[in-house]
Amino acid sequence: MTIKKHLLNTTVALAMSAMAGHAAAECASDSLPASMEGAGGYPERALTMIVPYGPAGGSGQVAQAMAEAVTGLTDVSINRDHKPGGSGTVGMTAYMATPADGYTVLEHIDDAASAHALDSSKPNPAEDLIPLVTSQITFSQIYIREDEDRFTDWASFVEWVKAQDGKATIANVSKEGSMERVTMKFITDATGMQIQQISFDKGAPRYGALAGGQVDALFEQPGDVRKFLDAGKFKPILTILKESPDAFADVPNLTDAGLDFEPLLRFRGFYVKAGTPEDRVKWLQWAFQKAYCQEDYQAYNESKFMTLIESFRDTDGSKDLITETVAQYRDVYKEMGLEVK
Amino acid sequence: MDAFNNFLAGTVTLFSDPVGILIFFGGVVGGMLFGAIPGVSMLTLAAILLPFTAHLSPEHGIMLFSVIYCTGVYGGAITAILFNIPGAPENAPTAFDGYPMTLNGEAGKAVGAAVMCSAIGGVASCIVMMAATAAIADWAISAFGPPEIFALVFFGLAVAASVGAKSFWKGWLSIMAGLMVAVVGLDPVGGIERYNFDMPYLAAGIHFIPTILGFFAVSEIFVQAEKKATGSYKAPKLSVDFPTFKELWQHKIAVIRSAIIGFFCGVLPGIGATLAAFMGYNEAVRWSKDREGFGKGKIEGVISSETANNAATGAAMIPLLALGLPGGALTAMMVGVFQMHDMEPGPLVFLNSPDLVWVVFAAMFFANLSILLVGFLEAKTIVNLLRIPFQYLAPLILLLATVGAYAVRGLTIDVVVMFVAGVAGFFLRRSGYSVAGIVLGLILGKIGEQTFAQAMQMLHFEFTGFFERPIALGLLIAGFITILASIYGAFFKKVPVSTPTADG
Repeated sequence: MTIKKHLLNTTVALAMSAMAGHAAAECASDSLPASMEGAGGYPERALTMIVPYGPAGGSGQVAQAMAEAVTGLTDVSINRDHKPGGSGTVGMTAYMATPADGYTVLEHIDDAASAHALDSSKPNPAEDLIPLVTSQITFSQIYIREDEDRFTDWASFVEWVKAQDGKATIANVSKEGSMERVTMKFITDATGMQIQQISFDKGAPRYGALAGGQVDALFEQPGDVRKFLDAGKFKPILTILKESPDAFADVPNLTDAGLDFEPLLRFRGFYVKAGTPEDRVKWLQWAFQKAYCQEDYQAYNESKFMTLIESFRDTDGSKDLITETVAQYRDVYKEMGLEVK
Repeated sequence: MDAFNNFLAGTVTLFSDPVGILIFFGGVVGGMLFGAIPGVSMLTLAAILLPFTAHLSPEHGIMLFSVIYCTGVYGGAITAILFNIPGAPENAPTAFDGYPMTLNGEAGKAVGAAVMCSAIGGVASCIVMMAATAAIADWAISAFGPPEIFALVFFGLAVAASVGAKSFWKGWLSIMAGLMVAVVGLDPVGGIERYNFDMPYLAAGIHFIPTILGFFAVSEIFVQAEKKATGSYKAPKLSVDFPTFKELWQHKIAVIRSAIIGFFCGVLPGIGATLAAFMGYNEAVRWSKDREGFGKGKIEGVISSETANNAATGAAMIPLLALGLPGGALTAMMVGVFQMHDMEPGPLVFLNSPDLVWVVFAAMFFANLSILLVGFLEAKTIVNLLRIPFQYLAPLILLLATVGAYAVRGLTIDVVVMFVAGVAGFFLRRSGYSVAGIVLGLILGKIGEQTFAQAMQMLHFEFTGFFERPIALGLLIAGFITILASIYGAFFKKVPVSTPTADG
């Protein structure tokens, strides 16, 4: 039984069906009403958004962009409360201790789904929380330096790595069970190459490691290294999707490279606690989904390469995405011999 | 010559615009004030201002943050000197000698030295930054990978252990205690939980800011309160005498050494001003003929620490601007300012927005210079805070420290950590351990563990790999020599090698 068979019935591929090039003109939540009154005067005061990561990283930035878009739409202020640490578990724990009154919302990423997959005592974002909107979905790529001469594309990279006898290196975030580590396992299993993964938990040293020649390659999402791509410092040699988005039409995808596994996606979204009064949930769903289509938010997503594949999921779509992701990770973890609780 | 012309152009742009001048001076004063108030910091100010920078031009936004950065790093020295409360981690070594100077009635001298040396360190690093940003940035990331940074940390710890406490063993035990605290929380590579006893909040690790506030501010209040209770309390004598030029000139070597160390540490992504200040201080002690005097109110201690931490500010802009790699929290926020204006710091900034880069360079240069002017005025007034009677000052400091500890991550556990560190610090300081050593062990332990794990992955888990990297090897050898020398001094030479510090 191979890992990929476990994955066949998972439908993370649903992102691929809506691939590429969504213009703001047909924004996903345009059909929602332009304004909405909360029941009983809700919200009477500012909302708090718990962000389980620091202000400067991808989560901190999307939290800021979304909070500003919601405030622009509704005139309701949102105070962001950053509680970084423990790969998002600290923020989640703090959030679960808040009352379910609709005044505190949570930003979180797919790590919450994979954490629940590994240990079911951790909150399930699809059940213990109500997803308001998933506003960023992206994919990963493998990058090399633009001026690299030992290899120039995916095929020559694989060949070179194999010749190094396990001594080639790639920078990523290789915490146990992370999306990066699992994906690298798929790739090394499928190609038969051995590559040493070097774990950098912060972006700057990770990109510096490739730019400075400390490692041979980098595993990352395109929005995070856009400036290096625009500056001609890094170039992608593999897109970890089954079909290439238009922006990376020239870069081989999994199908081109003959790699047969379902890609894992990185996604970020906003949540409120299960048990929050229904009318308040409705207002929050409207506000966060509608804010997604605000011009500023769309411009932000575009600048982060978050429009290359469909980034929007409403509550039901987010629940499906999370549930499928949890099932996918759980199967993979069992295959990898990790203890799934 | 090009650089000089660009600098002039940047200067003209900066001062020909009244809004620019207003923002510049707002940043200078704001950075100093927020840096000087314990409990809040320049980061607090930066976080408050971040959303508003969207309404400023990119030049003004980035300039404001870089000015706050320069003056904020200096501002934290004032409270470190007057009350033993470093405004920020990078001012902690300033307190080692600055606070004893205050107790000796030399507060004015210490503040004056901090003002002068912050300005010198900052201006010097600005000049290097302007001359060679791109070249230095490329060199730093290609020459310094995880093995080199680990070796640097090892060297730093070796030096710190041999200068920190009353005895060889107490020095090393202090460092080891810090290293032990550093491993609480998720391990930096595999994400495995350690020593958190199933408490999710401990999984985030022990943060060094509440630890510093506890060890320095809270324990100091306990110490003073005890003196008050036993009748041995003496209010620090007030003085506004600044150091003479001659006094400072005597320490020119210390200034140059610290400027180089500070610049070097600042240029490495993720290392920054804190390590710079500690290394600057440690090296000053190591090279001094009068090691015994450190920790008892030696002006050279203040000079070394403050020159180094401000020298790191200009250096930290190098990887940020040239490569888009922020070295610390404030430079990471600057990335946010760039992004609000649809820009990314990195190689393209020099191509796309050279004007902006040179306005920032000019602003940082003048911000460091303005430390001299505004700093002297501020110092003349702020020293008068010492007139506040202890019974009013102590609760105020405790309140501000509590707010500061909580504000780091919004976690109550950080307040608990601060008070535990305060009580521990009270007893440790009596028994000759070095609380500075513990703090340094904690800060460097986190960097050291991560880079060691990364280095081992890179070197395929073979220690011999370090030998093939000349810089790493050199630093490791320097570290071992330092340890051997301190062992020799402690056990074979008939004079004590180590010196008591402010906390000893």
